[in-house]
Amino acid sequence: MSFRTKVFLSIAATAVLSVWIVAAVVSTLVTQSFERRDAQRTAALVNQFQREFDRRRVEVARRVEAVTDSDDVQRLALNFGGPADTSAYFAEAQTLAQEQSLDFLELVGPDATIISSAEWPARFGYKEDWLTASSGWKSQGVFLKKEDLADGEALGIITVRTVKAGDGMLYVAGGRRLDQEFLDSLPGAEGMRVRLYRQTDQVTRVNSDATVTAIPLRGRDKQLLATLVIENSRADLVALKKYIQGTAAIVGAAGVLLGLVLSFWTASRVTRPLRGLASSVREVAIGNWDTRAAVSSSDEIGQLARDFNGMTEQLVEQRDRMIQAERVAAWRELARRLAHELKNPLFPLQITIENLQRARDASPEQFDEVFRESTSTLLAELGHLKTIIGRFSDFAKMPAPELEPVNVNQIVREELQLFEAQLQAPGGPPVKAILELAEDAGEVPADPDQLRRALHNLVLNALDAMPHGGGLVFRTTRHDNKVAIEISDDGDGLAPEECDRLFTPYYTTKQHGTGLGLAIVQSVVSDHKGTITVHSELGKGTTFRIELKA
Amino acid sequence: MRLPVWACLALLSSVPIAQAKAATRPHYGGSLTIELSSAWSTLTESSALSIPITETLVRLNARGGIEPALCVAWQHDPDLKRWRFSLRQKVTFHDGQPLNGASAVPSLLGALKGKYADVSIQAGGQAIVIQSGEAMPDLLADLASPHAAVFRQGDANSLTGTGPFRVTAWEPGRRLVVAAFDDYWGSRPYLDSIAIEFGAGHARPDIFDIPAGPARRILPEGIATWSSAPRILVAITGPNANPVLLQALALAIDRAPIVNVLAQRRGEAAFSLLPQWLTGYAFLFQSAFDVPRAKQLVSQLRPGPISLSYPANDAFLRSVAERVALNARDAGITIQPTSTAGILRLGELPLQSTDAATELARMAATLGVGHIDSSKPDTLYEAERTLLDRVVPLAFLRETYGIAPRVHIESSKSDAFALHLDDVWVQP
Repeated sequence: MSFRTKVFLSIAATAVLSVWIVAAVVSTLVTQSFERRDAQRTAALVNQFQREFDRRRVEVARRVEAVTDSDDVQRLALNFGGPADTSAYFAEAQTLAQEQSLDFLELVGPDATIISSAEWPARFGYKEDWLTASSGWKSQGVFLKKEDLADGEALGIITVRTVKAGDGMLYVAGGRRLDQEFLDSLPGAEGMRVRLYRQTDQVTRVNSDATVTAIPLRGRDKQLLATLVIENSRADLVALKKYIQGTAAIVGAAGVLLGLVLSFWTASRVTRPLRGLASSVREVAIGNWDTRAAVSSSDEIGQLARDFNGMTEQLVEQRDRMIQAERVAAWRELARRLAHELKNPLFPLQITIENLQRARDASPEQFDEVFRESTSTLLAELGHLKTIIGRFSDFAKMPAPELEPVNVNQIVREELQLFEAQLQAPGGPPVKAILELAEDAGEVPADPDQLRRALHNLVLNALDAMPHGGGLVFRTTRHDNKVAIEISDDGDGLAPEECDRLFTPYYTTKQHGTGLGLAIVQSVVSDHKGTITVHSELGKGTTFRIELKA
Repeated sequence: MRLPVWACLALLSSVPIAQAKAATRPHYGGSLTIELSSAWSTLTESSALSIPITETLVRLNARGGIEPALCVAWQHDPDLKRWRFSLRQKVTFHDGQPLNGASAVPSLLGALKGKYADVSIQAGGQAIVIQSGEAMPDLLADLASPHAAVFRQGDANSLTGTGPFRVTAWEPGRRLVVAAFDDYWGSRPYLDSIAIEFGAGHARPDIFDIPAGPARRILPEGIATWSSAPRILVAITGPNANPVLLQALALAIDRAPIVNVLAQRRGEAAFSLLPQWLTGYAFLFQSAFDVPRAKQLVSQLRPGPISLSYPANDAFLRSVAERVALNARDAGITIQPTSTAGILRLGELPLQSTDAATELARMAATLGVGHIDSSKPDTLYEAERTLLDRVVPLAFLRETYGIAPRVHIESSKSDAFALHLDDVWVQP
């Protein structure tokens, strides 16, 4: 994630979070305020309901009393003085209920048989056992009761009066509906809705934008008959909340937009020197040690640029010192090697010359013989010196490779031919050459002379490693657009630490080696953009592997 | 089918009041006002109030026997396929046209075609010959039915018959006025005219109906009542309903409260299509009010809500429908009374004649059942039993009328089946 993105996200998140917190706090305070108002309104409505309910109770009691005292009911009661025929009265309750504006009215005989029912005229002859089963309703005066009707159930404010009828009682049970119409008559505040749910009612979905208060309504046996549900509309609250949320969204969006602008501005101010510094770092990394970062400010980033510049200057100085030291070391090594290499031939030369001097002084008659012998020795040693100097000259004069397509297998075969005479020479160590050349090895871009020279040195190295003979394997492979040439011997092998120093110039494990052979091989391979590796195990042999791009 | 002797006795014994003030001599003249709560839409409505505007060739007497009316004699071949009737001489229609074979044929043919598809009637002078490819053993009973009345069809508001009363004013559903037909071939009726008003409104009618139902009418001082024999069947019909469901419904309905309370004892419980006084075997259909058995039947059916229609504005039938729904609910059947069309229909099926076979055939036609064999009492019983798969009888109702003190009924023709207004006279 870029610095600019991080800055943008930080600013945007800060803005949005701040706005959200403010909106949440305001919203919560508004909600609490509305809830307090709703609670007050609900309490007022419940009180109003209770007052209206009490008023209706009194009214129902008065009207049922009037029905009880009516001539029709008294005449009906007198019927029970003898054999009662109440069939003529089966419609009486409807008339009386209409007169007294009662929704429910039943005239019930002493045996609990309905004589007449206003709310369900067809129910005459059925029983109202609750009237005779218990007299608990007497103590309650007016009570809530669930009434069965032809089209379902209804809730009523009911009271019961009795009239002496023969040896028993004539029951007059009447009342009024407690229904939605009753509830609608209650003065409610705007946005309030009152509903009555009976046990059998299917509860309709309550408006989700409303707070709901449920008040249980119980009957004469304390059983739950219905629930009074008061809904307070939260439309105003919801609208206000939406307004707050909308405003917060707008402010939040503005914050995001501001964050976007600020992030671009900040990023351009902050990251420009950082990008320059990063570019300088990359330049240094690829070797441009003279690169310097621009110092455009005095803040931390400016200090960082200054430190970076100081660091690179120190690195350059250290590099120069290291190069100088390496040069000195190289010259010392070269001098030491030269001194060592030249010292050996020079000592016989000095002895020979001193012998010549002594022979000319002490034995002039033998001087000629000594002279001949000494001159031949001198010539041999001078030839040795010339060889040593030639090798150093070759290493020094390593030219740049002239690349051309070279058939790898052909080069290998030609190199083997150069050594066939030596390998087959009688008296020499028995070395068996083995060719394992891949048919698809193909060609590589290479300088054929330098490549032959590298292979030559490797073969010589392998033969030196097998003084008592062995197997010399030439192997070529092609893989992933690379061609590998391996030359293996089954000599004594090398220790790991020897492998590590093997390509160091002038390092040799042989008594007569110059330590330049493998260095020349590595130089050739390196000039061809290739790689050379060595794998060796003590007692098993050594394999050199050259990989060149095809 | 002739009315059995015991049925005649039953009819006679059921005449309730017959305020026959035998000590008072009948008085000719005067007008009678009648107020009926239900409106007539045609002049052939079936009612216990018999206004003889038309007549039939033969008629049933008080003992249920066939006696001549517009014809004076008849004879038939041994196969009962060819009947010859001799019409009464010097009979005229209300418009003055003489009654002869040709003028009687159209109305007779219309009445008989429904029962005898290939019937043909030839007329010659005062004789008519009725022929059919099938035997017509009940032809006399058919001809005694009010449906076989002889009349001349005039305009839409007129019915021209040969009876003792002629129509002078007819406003369907509102008013009917008839007057004595001075050229009537028989004895002149006592009354000069009769005015019938449909719907309440008349201050002091001489005769008014007391409909069944909860609307009780306090009878004024001196008002007597006349009740017919049970002649209106209140029943639930359901030609397309499951017979088992109807059986369960029949078991679930307690008929006694319907008769005693809703009908205010103006009838009797019904378990058959024809009343006991008409067939003599109706008691065989009587079954007990058996809710557990009804529940058992319902449990096999698991029926959904069933609508039960009743005539709109008929408070009595509405209360019966509500009672039926209440009883049915106890048995687990949900009945929904409605004044619109329903699967089941609650209605009144008034008897139109005192011939059981004729009535059963008419009911069978009403229920969509074809020809029934009514040649013998046992086949009649079987036919009725079959029809009961489609009907739940509830009650047979009487027609009850209030009679003002000045109204007198002679008993020469009137029986418990009908109150013949040509037998009524009024005190001046």
